[in-house]
Amino acid sequence: MNVSAFYRAYTQPDFTPHERERVEIRFAGLHWRADRVIQAVFENQGYRAAPMPAATRDDLMAGRELADIGQCCPASFVTGCLANFLRREAARLGADEVKRRYVYVSIGSCGPCRFGQYHQGYELALRHLGMEGMRLLLLDQSRLEQAGGGGLEVNLQLSLGVVWAILCTDALQSLEYRTRPYETTPGATDRAAADGVALLCEAFRQRPRHGGKWSALAWHLTTRHFVRALQLVARRFDEVEVDRLVPKPVVKITGEFYLQTVEGPANYDIHRWLEAEGAEVYPAAIAVWLDYLLRVSIQNLQARVAVDRHARAKLAVAKVLQRLLRWTFERMRRALDGVPHALPEQAELRALAAPYYHHRLAGGEGDMLVGKALWTKRHRAAHMICELSPYSCLPNTMSVGAMAGVLGKHPDLLYAPLEVKGDAEVHALSRCQMILTEAKKRAQEEFDAALARTGLDLAEARRRQAARPALRRATTAIPHRDVVGTGANTVLHLAAGRA
Amino acid sequence: MPIPTLANWFARLRSGPSGDRAQLRIGIPRTLAIWSTHQFWLGFFAALGIAPRNLVFSSPTSEAQYHHFGRGRGTVDCCYPVKCMAGHYGELVFGQKRRLDVLFSPMFHSIPSFLDGAVKTSLSCPRVMAAPENIKAGFLKERDVFGERGIRYVSPLLDFGEPALVPGQLHAALAEVIPGLTLAETTRAAAIGWAALQRFDAGLRAESAAVLGACARRDAPCILVLARPYHMDPGIGHEIEGELQAYGYPILWGQYLPIEPALMAWMFGAEMQRGDIASPFDIADVWPSSYSANTNELLWAAKFAARMPWITCVIRLTSYECGMDQPTFSPVQEIVERSGTLFFAFQELDATKAAGSIKIRVETIAHYLEHASGDIIRQKRRLMGAGCPLEDATSQAA
Ligand code: SF4
Ligand code: SF4
Repeated sequence: MNVSAFYRAYTQPDFTPHERERVEIRFAGLHWRADRVIQAVFENQGYRAAPMPAATRDDLMAGRELADIGQCCPASFVTGCLANFLRREAARLGADEVKRRYVYVSIGSCGPCRFGQYHQGYELALRHLGMEGMRLLLLDQSRLEQAGGGGLEVNLQLSLGVVWAILCTDALQSLEYRTRPYETTPGATDRAAADGVALLCEAFRQRPRHGGKWSALAWHLTTRHFVRALQLVARRFDEVEVDRLVPKPVVKITGEFYLQTVEGPANYDIHRWLEAEGAEVYPAAIAVWLDYLLRVSIQNLQARVAVDRHARAKLAVAKVLQRLLRWTFERMRRALDGVPHALPEQAELRALAAPYYHHRLAGGEGDMLVGKALWTKRHRAAHMICELSPYSCLPNTMSVGAMAGVLGKHPDLLYAPLEVKGDAEVHALSRCQMILTEAKKRAQEEFDAALARTGLDLAEARRRQAARPALRRATTAIPHRDVVGTGANTVLHLAAGRA
Repeated sequence: MPIPTLANWFARLRSGPSGDRAQLRIGIPRTLAIWSTHQFWLGFFAALGIAPRNLVFSSPTSEAQYHHFGRGRGTVDCCYPVKCMAGHYGELVFGQKRRLDVLFSPMFHSIPSFLDGAVKTSLSCPRVMAAPENIKAGFLKERDVFGERGIRYVSPLLDFGEPALVPGQLHAALAEVIPGLTLAETTRAAAIGWAALQRFDAGLRAESAAVLGACARRDAPCILVLARPYHMDPGIGHEIEGELQAYGYPILWGQYLPIEPALMAWMFGAEMQRGDIASPFDIADVWPSSYSANTNELLWAAKFAARMPWITCVIRLTSYECGMDQPTFSPVQEIVERSGTLFFAFQELDATKAAGSIKIRVETIAHYLEHASGDIIRQKRRLMGAGCPLEDATSQAA
């Protein structure tokens, strides 16, 4: 039989250990803070690495043109981003040199949605570009150790570095978004964030190497190395002066993982747009996603307890890991003086979503889309939710549909689902603006009510704020009371404290 | 010889034991994974004493069904196999002469697959999994339509691909609506359900083997349909395969191909020896991310078609807005066409049957088949070599 007559999936040369010196690992990006610090993690491990550039609308178009037009928009963005990068580099260096010089690493070898099928889009794009043989390493997000083709050793030391980088930058991102809307000197927060990221990069570059699994884990859990780095970041943020006595609507970002995480044209630059429109953004921490992944493992094990004799032991390990993740994030948060948002309890998200969306429905954000919306309302965490739905997403359409039931029961929830497909920005943003107008109104009413309730007027509140210089510091946490907005909470805090 | 469609098999209800439960009326929407698991439900509910006449499947999908019962209840725009489910729910809620007591709409986290063991997982498409939650919202968003009509809505999440987990999950969901139901009884009934499903699958595979055997002995062509199981629904697949069958070509469905060891050895033995694949059911050579049950089976069936000389044409059916099928378009087409087999895709199938254009395309396909089949068979026989067990008359009843 002539076996060569049959089609075979994409094959590529190995990335071998001796190539490490000259090969540059290009990894698909999250947001710029995490990207920079993850780059430092790779460097710490002896790799040459850099994040891919932020995806643009041109990348989306290239992804559609080179892979397939109907794929979900995150798939198009990342495929097109890779394709355009390779095109540019091939024009500069020649295709063969590009294939020798770069290895592309991304998460995306896990089902059940399109996420597990990204390889097909990449392969098509590479074929259309004539770049067959370009090396792609698609890793499984749920495994801390796995084969990376020999040249990339995905071991616990590397994976823990990436997880810790995410936790640190999540905390920093949250501090940054709680600061910028209230800064008194425009640009001060951006400068502090850039310095903070540089401090973290340095800390991760200097991370001691641990050969053994257990020693790596024990060190990461016990060291104060990263806490100290974050405390330095906090001292840098001390210099940013804020005035929180301003009623601003808080907008929580939710939606599909990629779209809620990136900051740039791929999600209409929604974070910056909302801030420019006068909102305080409550960003989507990647740590929530990691916490959720652990919950998924726990749930899958719970379902098997009766039939798998090892399930209980594995369950206990998974629960400990989840607790350690949350505890570590809490350490990072406290190192930033408790200003960053805390992680929601996964059990609570699950319970809130239960009447509308089963906790074991897999793909995308699962039940978290519904859970986060109801959690936000219950905890008065935001005035409004901006939910980023990718065009042609499989699971997101299902949870957005289930949200119809939620909105039927909670008509007061300000919920803005925005479909992101690249060419409907004006429409999506104007829809968001309509709901934001209502959110602004609520923030103002709440602020006025807080003043009325406390018997303060704005001038008196300002006088009290001026008398307490700590409150002008970005790193002073304002206690969250029974109101949503930072402004209203500050009024209540001022009234509760000494005049 | 044609394969009986699942539509006929839905009608084959067995009688079950009588008792109080015999009065209980249970409705099941005839959608999505029900198309590949319905025999389980027939066996299972009959074993629990539900009278066959009281186990009500909604009608096959139709535009009229959606129009009468589902309109205004959709909560989101998506692929038609999910969207049409609102019509099925509506028919079961509003369209019954005798009211139902229970609307039973399971969420299939995974589904059993003959490829299990050779693939990573056999999960359902995320929309197949979550469709009941989505559709339910349309019946609850303003008021509880089920409650108003005295219908209990029961929608367990099932790890259907892991039979050991299923009795517990079914018992937890049904104990409140089926009087006196115990876990032991649920376990026994589930075993009867599995046996019924396996019998059914084995029966259809045997019929496929017989069809292929007949083709092999006459060196005659047949057509393979590559689609999701619910494309057997006339309102979703629009009976395109039926129109081709009218030209005299036997039709096989990718889900029910023969898998007996001798045939597998003939088809995949050389590649296994070369170490290209680990087993006949390994699809890592064409599809490394084998997570989704229906997608995996589709890819495997494409490989089968490429190696089976008498399958001279593959018809691919895909619903509009199907996110799962999109990435498989190129590999499936390449797998099939590289072997010289004809490939035709009917993409973007939606609610309305484009009868005119389907007719023209079917005529074209029939024309190609008539002229090219002989050469395709010769070429593929050369490629695969002698010794196909299907040519052996005694093997046909496998
Ligand atoms: S969750 Fe949706 S957008 Fe994200 S990879 Fe899956 S299908 Fe695509
Ligand atoms: S496989 Fe395709 S058609 Fe079927 S439910 Fe999923 S997205 Fe819809």
